[in-house]
Amino acid sequence: MIASARISGRLASRNLRRWPGPALLLLLTLTIATGTLGLGLSVYGSADAAWDRAWTATDGFHVAFNVYHPPDEAGNDAFVQKMERRGRELVGADGVVAVGGPWTHLYGSIDVAGGLEDLTAEIRPPGRYAVDQPLVTNGRWLRPGEDGVVLEGGLAATLGVEAGDTVTIQGEPFPVLGVATTVSRGRFPLARPAQVWVTPQTAERMRGLGMTVEGFELQLRLRDPNDAAAFVAAHRPAFRTDPHSSAIAFLETWEERRADSHSDIDTVAGTLLAAGILIAILTIATAAVLVAGRMSERIRQVGTLKAVGVTPRQIVLALLLEYGAVALVATAVGIGIGLLLAPAIANTSVTILGTPQPRLSWTQVAIVGGVALLVLLIGTVRPAFRGVRRSTVSSLASGARPPRRPGQLSRWASRVGLPIPTVLGLRSSWRRPGRLVTNAAGLTFGVAMIVVALALRDSLNLLNTAASEPGHTASDAAVGVLYDQIRAIVVGTALLLVALGSINAFIVASFAARDGARSQAAIRAVGGTPRQTVISLIVSQLGACALALVLGIPLGLGLWTLMEGGDLPETGVSVLALLLVAVIVPLVFAAVVSVPARRLANRPVAPLLSYE
Amino acid sequence: MKAVIEARDLVRTFDADEAPVRAVDQVDLIVEEGETVSVMGPSGCGKSTLLHLLGGLERPDAGEILIDGSRVDGLSETDWAILRRRSIGFVFQAFNLVDELTALENVELPALLLGEPRGQARRKALELLERLRVAERAGHLPDRLSGGERQRVAVARALINEPLVVMADEPTGNLDSRATGDILGLFAELRDARQTLLLVTHDARVASVADRLLTMRDGAVVGQTKLDAGTPIERVLAGLVDLGDTA
Repeated sequence: MIASARISGRLASRNLRRWPGPALLLLLTLTIATGTLGLGLSVYGSADAAWDRAWTATDGFHVAFNVYHPPDEAGNDAFVQKMERRGRELVGADGVVAVGGPWTHLYGSIDVAGGLEDLTAEIRPPGRYAVDQPLVTNGRWLRPGEDGVVLEGGLAATLGVEAGDTVTIQGEPFPVLGVATTVSRGRFPLARPAQVWVTPQTAERMRGLGMTVEGFELQLRLRDPNDAAAFVAAHRPAFRTDPHSSAIAFLETWEERRADSHSDIDTVAGTLLAAGILIAILTIATAAVLVAGRMSERIRQVGTLKAVGVTPRQIVLALLLEYGAVALVATAVGIGIGLLLAPAIANTSVTILGTPQPRLSWTQVAIVGGVALLVLLIGTVRPAFRGVRRSTVSSLASGARPPRRPGQLSRWASRVGLPIPTVLGLRSSWRRPGRLVTNAAGLTFGVAMIVVALALRDSLNLLNTAASEPGHTASDAAVGVLYDQIRAIVVGTALLLVALGSINAFIVASFAARDGARSQAAIRAVGGTPRQTVISLIVSQLGACALALVLGIPLGLGLWTLMEGGDLPETGVSVLALLLVAVIVPLVFAAVVSVPARRLANRPVAPLLSYE
Repeated sequence: MKAVIEARDLVRTFDADEAPVRAVDQVDLIVEEGETVSVMGPSGCGKSTLLHLLGGLERPDAGEILIDGSRVDGLSETDWAILRRRSIGFVFQAFNLVDELTALENVELPALLLGEPRGQARRKALELLERLRVAERAGHLPDRLSGGERQRVAVARALINEPLVVMADEPTGNLDSRATGDILGLFAELRDARQTLLLVTHDARVASVADRLLTMRDGAVVGQTKLDAGTPIERVLAGLVDLGDTA
């Protein structure tokens, strides 16, 4: 067994050294994929970790009971009284060990950056609370007989104020007593409305300025925070709201609040994860293309190994070790890069509580490693098993198979009198349909992402030019910053996918040039010019590009339709922009493909004719 | 007689592991219009390289090549390609048909490259395939043809533009004896029709088709023998041995 593993290990190591170029290219693309996935996962985790720290430090709630009602709607008083009774029932429910509130909420407005923002003032009697003791980061907490407000941290950061300054609420100045952080509300401005804490005395003054009661929040701690979901499930039916009223009441667990608390970082992390998955899929195409180019050599090698007595099991083990080594290195490097870059990205968040600490669980590491291995196995296992399944003699005789029948398209091209290089190119394009499809698959994602990026650009331009609604100025600006980040990721991913697609196209074209070298030389021997052979090779590869455009543009538009719900303004991609994509992508593709074609065309004919 | 091909002091050296190898070493050669010349010699003597140099498939390191009286050794790859489509027909040992094209399309390719109308090129290609008794295989790709059929298609392709000279490199090297006989018959017909032919071969039967036999050794032409029609193979072989027997 050990001897068998040693033989397999030696074979794997020799193969990696024999074809270092493809192994390095595979490693590079796979590392980009694992790096992006690792980055997404660790950014995602960093927000949760920061929230957990704040939740622990503030004795955060396990279950929150929220009641909101429009102040001017008739019948609310009865609803509120009913909900207050429900709240008292919850306080006495089994498993509840501590209670915070109920805290009454007043609705009003605050001046922010020259505009008005919606404001909630939570009324708290001065003192300490068993649940949700906001963590004061500047100044002091509410004191008896002292007029003023304590600002939620995000609001203070947006206003650029600290203790001792004043803020304008309902048109009147209020002194800032302090700044505090809590998990009971998301950070302004991405979480709205803005929040301040006030004493009952200050609340009376605010009522006098026109602020009205909009509801309350009751906070509970349970014996075990992990029971929160079960507690909510057991009590939720009792809080069905009246369908004829716009008043609402709902129970929420701390996990649900945490998940909603960092929408910006979740969106960025989600975009990164989606990008990582797309790049991983493209890496399958790269692996398949690289392996397909060496398919006959691989199969011959397997045949040789079988001929000298290496068992199929040892061969499969050697292949697993070979690809496993590449996957392992890609995972380690990718995750390292991800962890290194994650703090910089997490720090741009306006919702995160405190300093982000990116982390990855072993499960997440295993997921990234598993994806890397899966990508390689999907892309590379076919020739190996073909070689193992074939008889030894037929494996040894494996070589490029010439075409048996001319395709219909090329027959048609010949009949309608297309130029000779085009006809020759069309003939060659159908010689390797597998490579054409693999190549097209890679490019399709690139094209789709370009379309998404274009749509996102138009949509964000609309967002930037649209006037903010009253009360949303600061939050709209923060959303704009977030979308700029997403746009940067989408554009970056599109460029990366196009670059990787171009690398794939270059590899496929190089293999096509190698496989078609003899035919190209034969054409030159009977009078075809180097230019004509270059055109023919480019045409032979353009099918993949055409397929990618046909599939990629609708795919991109479809993806955009899924994305544009929510806060993004609805917009389509202009026909002109799509036409530009349909023109520029093939031109770039042709330029990339022409490199190996020109290299081949510049070589003397005679050595190519003897090429087998 | 007018010289169709003329080579002066032609040299081609290849890099090898130990020392450079002179594959063609100061070769002087004239092939006249309507003449059939065979080049024979042992394997590796440089005869195929000489043919490649004369057809522009390889570049000489030194010397001059004239085709139909014009200096061509300095031509670009493109100009060589245009010259080949007009004036030179090639036949190779490995056939070198374009895999993706049918037999008929392979034959008409040089004519189309020369700018002939498609219909005219197709008609000429079909006539040639008829003449070479392979017309019934016109619609098949090379992979579906036998070795003899492929070489007939290759000969038809070489002839379609009525070239000044047909150059054949070991044209029977990959054929069985029956197909070899057929191809020899074809070359004899071409010789009788006064088509200028330059044949490179190590097969005395092929060489015996020629009017003149050149022998090469270590890259140099070391002798030539004039052959009459029906020269017995023994005489050809003797010509190879008796290098002093010059015309």
